[in-house]
Amino acid sequence: MVKLKYVERPKLSLIEKLFFLDFIKGLKVTFKNLIKRTVTTKYPYEKLTPPKRFRGTHAHRVKDGNEPPSFSVLEKFMDINTGESRCVACYMCQQACPVPSLFRIEAIQLPNGKKKVVRFDMNLLNCLYCGLCVDACPVDCLIMTDIYETAKYQREKCVIHMDDMSERGKDFDRRRLKEPDRIWIDDQERIKLWGQIKWS
Amino acid sequence: MEMISTVVVLVIKSLIFIVGMFLAAAYLTLIERKFAGHVQQRPGPLHVGFHGLLQPIADALKVLTKEDLVPNNVDKVLFYLASLMAFVPAIMILAVIPFGDPIKIFGFEIKPYITDINVGLILALAFGSISIYGVIFAGWASNSKYPMIGGLRKAAVLIGYEVALGFAMVGPIMMAGSFSLREIVQAQEGFFGAFIWYQPLAFIVILFAILAETGRTPFDVQEAEAELVSGYNTEYSGMKFGLFPLAEWYIGTFVLSAIAVILFFGGWKGPHIFGAFSPFIWFFLKVFMMFMFFLWVHWTLPRYRVDQITEIAWKVMLPLSLLNIFITAIIIMVKG
Repeated sequence: MVKLKYVERPKLSLIEKLFFLDFIKGLKVTFKNLIKRTVTTKYPYEKLTPPKRFRGTHAHRVKDGNEPPSFSVLEKFMDINTGESRCVACYMCQQACPVPSLFRIEAIQLPNGKKKVVRFDMNLLNCLYCGLCVDACPVDCLIMTDIYETAKYQREKCVIHMDDMSERGKDFDRRRLKEPDRIWIDDQERIKLWGQIKWS
Repeated sequence: MEMISTVVVLVIKSLIFIVGMFLAAAYLTLIERKFAGHVQQRPGPLHVGFHGLLQPIADALKVLTKEDLVPNNVDKVLFYLASLMAFVPAIMILAVIPFGDPIKIFGFEIKPYITDINVGLILALAFGSISIYGVIFAGWASNSKYPMIGGLRKAAVLIGYEVALGFAMVGPIMMAGSFSLREIVQAQEGFFGAFIWYQPLAFIVILFAILAETGRTPFDVQEAEAELVSGYNTEYSGMKFGLFPLAEWYIGTFVLSAIAVILFFGGWKGPHIFGAFSPFIWFFLKVFMMFMFFLWVHWTLPRYRVDQITEIAWKVMLPLSLLNIFITAIIIMVKG
C-alpha cells in the first residue's frame, strides 16, 4: 500500500506578497550567475581530455608481454607475432553486443594448424558505445579509447579494421596505460574550469 | 514652400529614426544573447567579430537570404499581413517619443522627435495594441494547432493587461495634466520631481503590462517553447519569422521602456554633465537600464499559466491601478 503524504504549499506572508521578495531572490540568483565566470570551453580550439574510462572509438591491444594469463593459454594455438593484435577470434564481443551485425570477424587455419585472425571489422555507425564487448573480451584485447571525434565524410570510413585498431591501441596505451583509473583526471583545463575536485 | 520643407525634414527624420531603430534592434539582440549567455554561465556569441560584435549583421544576412516558405493551407492575405501588422505599429510608436528638447545646431533648430501631438500617449497605447493583432492574426492565419493556441492565449492575456495598462497610465497623466509625452516630461522637475516617487503603484502595474505586452518571460504564454512548439510563429520562416521577435522582443520592449522612462523617470532630464548631448545620453541611458531590467526579469522567472495571468491582471493589477487613480485624485484635490 502506497502512503501518500500531502504537503501544503507554504503561504506567503504579507511582507513577501507586498514587496515581491521571492521575485527579488530570483533576480539575485541570476545576477550572481551573471557576474560569475563562464564554464564553457571553446571546443574546436580548446579540447578537454576525457577520463581514462571514457568510451570512445574502439581499439585492439597488441601482444606486448602484458597479457593476462588467459591469453598465454590460448597463445599456443594462435599465430600472433609481437606487436600484432592479440585478438583470438573467440567471438565473445559479438555475442555480447546488442547489435551483433556490426562485427565482422573472420579467422582461418594456417597449414601448420594454427589459427590466424584475418579480419576484425566494426561498423561504428551501428555501435551504441555501451562497452559490453570490452567487458566480454577474455584476453583484454578489445578496449575503448578516449577518441571521441568520430565524424567522417564517407560511410565506409566509419568502419574500423584490425590494423588501425591495433595502431590506436598502441597509441592509447603509450599515452594513458600508466594513468591511475579514476573518474576525473587532473586535467589542466578541467582545473581551470571547475577547480580541483577533492574526492577524485 | 514651407509645406515641402516640412515634409522633407519629416521624411529625413523618420528615415533616421527607422534605420536607427533597426540597427539598435539588431544590437539589442546581441545584448540579449550575451546577457542570456552570461546568466547561464556561457559566453554567448563570441567568434564573429570581437566578442560577437558582428553577429547581428551575420544573423540579418542569414535571415534575409533564407528560403521564405509559405505553407499551402494558410490564409495567404492574413499570413503576409500578420508579420507586418506586428512590426509596423511597433516601430510607429517611435513617432511620438520625444528624445529631448529642441536644440540649436549651426543656427538650425532641430527637434529630436517626429511629432509632438497632444494625444501622444493614447496613440502609443493604440499602436501597441494594434501590434498585438499581428500575433493573433498570425495564430489564426497559420491554420495549424499550435499557432492557433498561441494566438488565442495572447488574445486572452491582451484583454487582461490592456485595461490595467490604460488605467495605470492615468496617474502620471493626472499629475502632468497632459497626454503629450513632451509635456509629461516637462512636468517632472529635478530628481525628486520624477513621477516614480509619487506613482510607485502605477509603475508596478506598468511593468507587469509591458512584460505581458512584449511577451517576455513571466507572461510569454503565446510562444511557450515547452508547450507550443514556438507558438504563433511556428509556421513562419525567413524574414517573416524574423520580424516577430524583432517587433515584440526588441522594438516593442525598447519603445515601451522609453514610454515608461518618460512617464516615471523624467525622460531626458538629468544633470548637464555630458555637454550638448546630455539629454540624449540621459534618455538612452535610462531606456537602456529599463531594457536591461526587462531582460533580467525575462531570464530569471518561469512562466505563468494563462489563467494565472488573467487572474493577476483582473484581480490584482486592475484594482491597484484604480486605487492609484483614486489616491492621486484625492492628493491632487487636497493640494489644489
